[in-house]
Order: sequence, then C-alpha cells, then structure tokens
Amino acid sequence: MISRLSIAVVVAVLVGLVIGRVGWALAILLGSYVIAQLWNLFRLEQWLRRRRLLTPPDMNGLWGEVIAIVDRIYRRKQFHKSRVIGLLREFRRLTTAMPEGAILLGPEHEILWFNRRAGDWLSLRRRRDRGIRVENLVRHPAFVSYLRDGTPVDGVIVHDSGEHGRWLSFTIVRPGDDAERSLLIVRDVSHEMQVESMRKDFVANASHELRSPLTVITGYLDALADDQGLDPAWSAPIQEMRRQSERMSTIINDLLELSKLESGERRLPEQPVDIGGMLALLRREVSSLEQRPRTLTLTVESDAWLLAAEGEIHSIVSNLVSNAVKYTPVEGEIELRWWTDDGGAHVSVRDTGVGIAPENIPRLTERFYRVDSGRSRDMGGSGLGLAIVKHALQRHEGTLTVASVEGVGSTFTCHFPAHRVVPRPDDYADHDAAPHAASERRIADA
Amino acid sequence: MEKSDLSHHILSRYNDDLERVRTNVLQMGGFVEEQLKQAVEALVQGDSRLGEQVARSDVKVNAMEVSIDDDCSRILATRSPAAGDLRLIVAVIKTITDLERIGDEAQKIGYISSRLAAVERPADRYREIKHLGRIVADMVHEALDTFARLDAEAAVAIAKKDRLVDEEYEAIQRQVITFMMEDPRTIRRALDVLWVARALERIGDHAKNVCEYVVYMVYGKDIRHLSMEDVEKHIESRAQRAIGKS
Repeated sequence: MISRLSIAVVVAVLVGLVIGRVGWALAILLGSYVIAQLWNLFRLEQWLRRRRLLTPPDMNGLWGEVIAIVDRIYRRKQFHKSRVIGLLREFRRLTTAMPEGAILLGPEHEILWFNRRAGDWLSLRRRRDRGIRVENLVRHPAFVSYLRDGTPVDGVIVHDSGEHGRWLSFTIVRPGDDAERSLLIVRDVSHEMQVESMRKDFVANASHELRSPLTVITGYLDALADDQGLDPAWSAPIQEMRRQSERMSTIINDLLELSKLESGERRLPEQPVDIGGMLALLRREVSSLEQRPRTLTLTVESDAWLLAAEGEIHSIVSNLVSNAVKYTPVEGEIELRWWTDDGGAHVSVRDTGVGIAPENIPRLTERFYRVDSGRSRDMGGSGLGLAIVKHALQRHEGTLTVASVEGVGSTFTCHFPAHRVVPRPDDYADHDAAPHAASERRIADA
Repeated sequence: MEKSDLSHHILSRYNDDLERVRTNVLQMGGFVEEQLKQAVEALVQGDSRLGEQVARSDVKVNAMEVSIDDDCSRILATRSPAAGDLRLIVAVIKTITDLERIGDEAQKIGYISSRLAAVERPADRYREIKHLGRIVADMVHEALDTFARLDAEAAVAIAKKDRLVDEEYEAIQRQVITFMMEDPRTIRRALDVLWVARALERIGDHAKNVCEYVVYMVYGKDIRHLSMEDVEKHIESRAQRAIGKS
C-alpha cells in the first residue's frame, strides 16, 4: 500500500512536471487518496454496525487485513456464544427433568433462578418472582428460621397444606463460607413421611397393646409365686417366667419411651439440671447393687448446670451407666465424669469392661443391635438403650462419641452445646448427694 | 410500582430498611397463616394440646406487630418517605393491624378447639368448618403472595373470593341452626362451632383488607369502599394508560 502510494506520488510529480503544476497535481492526488480512505472507513463502520446481517466488504490492502481480523474475532465470539447457549439450554433441560426442585439464591436470599419443579411445588412464577426474597414467598416459620440461622444443619421439613398437602424438605447448599450465592434444594418427602409415621404409629400402638396383657400375666405369676400350696417342682419354672415377663416389660417400656422421643411431641419443659448431683445419685444406686464393679469413681470438674429436660437426661445417663455395669467384671472399674470447656458440656462414662470391636461401634445406636447376641440377652437388656440415648441427645442438640478397645474398656461421652451450660443457681443449698462445692472432687470407693 | 422500585434509592441503608420491613410483615403473615392452619387442625382432630399451643403463641404475633410498628415509625421519622415508599409504609401499618386481628381470631379458634376436644365430635367431624378453613387459609396465603409480588390484579381477584367465604358462613349458620332444632342437647357445641365459623369469616374479611392495601400500595387508589366492578375498571384503565405511555 505504501509502495503503491509512493508510485502514485512519483507519477503525479511527473504529470505535474509535464503540465507545469506540480503542486496542483499532488494536491489532487492526495485529496482523492484521503477521500478513498474515508470511504473505506465508512464502509467498515457500516459493516461493523450491522455485521450480523452483512457479509464483510471486499477491500484490499491494510483495510482488507483489518476486516479479516475483525471478522475472525467476531466469528470466534459467535462460536463460543453459541456453545455457551447450547450448554445453558442443555442445563435447563436437565434441571427441568430433575426430580428435585432447585432455587438459586443471591446474597439477600433473592430468587435468581429456579427450575420448573421448584416453581410447581412452591407456586413461584417464572418472570414475576425473580428478585423477590424467597422468604417473602415461602413464609413457613420453620423454613424462615432455617434460612436465617442455618439450623438444623441437615435441613428442614415443612408441611405444605396446599391442595396437595405435600411434605417438602429444604436444604441449603453453599459452595463455600464466603460464597455470595447459594442453592436451595427442595425435595418432596411426603412418601417418606407417610412411611415413617406409619412405622412410628405401629411401634407405639403395638407396644401399648402388648402392655395390658403382660400386666395380667405378671400379676398372676406374682400370685402363683407367693402361693404356698404350689407343687415345688413348679417354683423354678415360675421364677423363670417372672424373669422373662419382666424383661418383656422392660423392652416394651423402652419401645414406648423411644417412640415418645421420636415423635418429637410432648417436650418436657427444659430447666437447669444438676448433672453432678444426678451422677452422684446414680453412683450411689449402683454401689447398692450386689453385682457391681469394685471401683466406682465420680469426677465432677464443673459446678455448672445443664439446661435440659431432666427426665431425658436421666434416661441418657442411666442407660450409659447400666450398660457399663452390665459389661464390666466385678474386679473392673467405672468412672463417671462431668466437665465443661469452650466446646460445651460433657458427660462421660468410662468402664474397663469387655470393650467393643471398631466395626461394631457405628452400629451401636441401632435398635436391637447386639454385638454378641447370646451374652447380652442373658444380661436382660432390651437392645434399645443406646437408641434412646441417641434420640434423647438429638433433642438436646447433643452428640455421642464412643471410644473403645476390645478387652480394655470403653468410654461413652455425651457432648452438649455451650449455650445449654448455665451457672449453678446461687440459692441452691448443697445437699450431701451433690459434691460440687469444690471445683473438682473425686469420690472413689474400693 | 414494580418490585425493583424498592431498590431505587441511592442510600442503600434506606433500601435495606424498606426491604426488611416488607420481609418482616410477610414473616408475621407466615406465622399467622400457620397459627390459623393449626387452629383449624386442632378443632378437626380434637387435639386440645395443639389448640392451647395456638392460643398461647398469639403473644408472638403481638410482639411482631409492635416491632414492625416501631420500624415503620422510625422510617417515617428519619427518612420521611414519599410517593411509593410512603404508600408502602402506610400499607404496612394497616396490614399488620389486620394480621394481628387474624392472629386474635386464630387464638379464639384455638381456645374453642381445646374446649371442644373434651366434647364428643359430631358425625361429620367438622367437615364444613374444615372446608371453610381451607378456603380462608388459601385466601390469607394468596393475599400475602400478592403483597410480596405487588400484584394488584391478583389482589382484586382474591378480594372477590370474600363473597364465597360469606356464602359458606351462611351455609354453616343454617346447618348449625338445623342441628340445634333437631337436638337441643348439642346447642352448646353448636354455638361454639358457630363462633369458629364466625371467626373464620372475619379472617376472610381481614385477608380482603390486606388485598385492598396491596392495590393502594401499587396504584395509590383507595378501593376500600368501592364495588369490585369499579375497582376492576379503574385498574384496567390504569393498565391501558401504562401501555400507551411505553
């Protein structure tokens, strides 16, 4: 292009020399050159403005290069755009077919996007509801408090009493702690809830129905055992029958307690509970047993109390203690411990009993799960103790950890969150069973 | 007024305040809605404990009303809102009064339910009440939805449902009177049922009021004492003008 321009200048100078007006010839040449460039620029602008519809103009030289480069960039962009659009369309199709509802939420919980399922279940409207905070449209109190505090951690189940009466479970998924957006997953759990409630009803009703006939049987057996005129050959069988019916009533009572805990209703009122005192009473109960481990140690390291339903805490601790007593030989040792730290409050029951194999530990809290079925039947347990412990702990936002070495012993520790720890009431008079006057006191008898 | 209207202020604190008030109103509405459903459930299932629980939880509704009221007066005092914002605040103040009344009616139903749980349930297991309760609960739910969406057209449609509630109430009233004449021993229970129906009918009226505040908030038009046909005409003309402008 430069070379062509210089040739044109030389020609113009020559022509100018011939006609004797070099200046004019050069001016005309350069003027027409500028006009040609402006025309090219104008065509380029016209094309760029409507490049979607027009084919690129055919120009040569530097202009042609520029157009080719612009065209290449544009085509590449078009290609990526169509790929992204294709992916998005695919994604939308997939999310529509998803069996779960999904809602994308912004930092203020405003709805950014949702799939069709979520829209159907929560009766959201596609265009209109974008940008509205989700709690403005899904106003169930349990859901709102879940959205605000994130508790309970594993999501919340809400009964939607619309025309379908669905049970919907909500879970928030955050990609990271500092993520601006979060995903709200909605699932229809009506079927699960129905099955679950049938199971609970069945257990509760069955155990209730079993209790009345058992009372009659126990009554007659008691009368028979006291009967002096009975053939002595019958006394051993009758004693055995009494033992078995007693076991049966333990099982039924545990089942009833478990179903009461599970149903979540009839929450006992929560009040400050003196755990140190409770442990001391339990220790005294155990020490009055005939068959018991020789050493019982009580360590109370904190005089704080625990905000809890007293009956439930008692059933947690007494179940753990009675397990320890059952599985620890007479020459063994049991230690009860109560302490608080930054993480909350803890109760532990340590024994030097038979211990539990590691593969059995995760299954301990299952109903009727027995590590060694023959032996534990003889002990007369119901097989429900640890299930009760687990459910009662859940109601107090607590957790259970189990550490055990086979043949050496086990430690069961209950952890309670820090907000349940309350200071000991000042006006509380010390009584002999509660050794918390000192910050730490150990009682042991050999 | 579109929903984005609330986020047009340069002062983002102001926006936050307005958004929070609206969210709080809807939260209160959600709680009241739940109270209403549980109260009717308590009656139908004969669950005295649930009924008592509903009656006791009314304190929370009152506390919510007070706190939202405070927020509103604070905004009025410090931000001196104008136009749409002012209408929002006025509508909120009116809405929470009606929501609180709905809460009171639910409390009343809760009390009556816990009392009726001790009495033998009628053969139809309060089917009529259950039906009316469903209609009214839906109405409250939809009224709150229109509040969240600022959807005046839907608000008018829901306000019209109030007639249906009134008809149902009339039907229950006639039925109850028949029962009382047939068997005077049931008069006590029948009177309680009538009270519940009356409370539900009142809740329907309050829901209708909420719808009217939504129309006021969106169009700045007080439709409380107009006939529904006039309201629709008005809204239509507004909509057409809006289309013409754009």
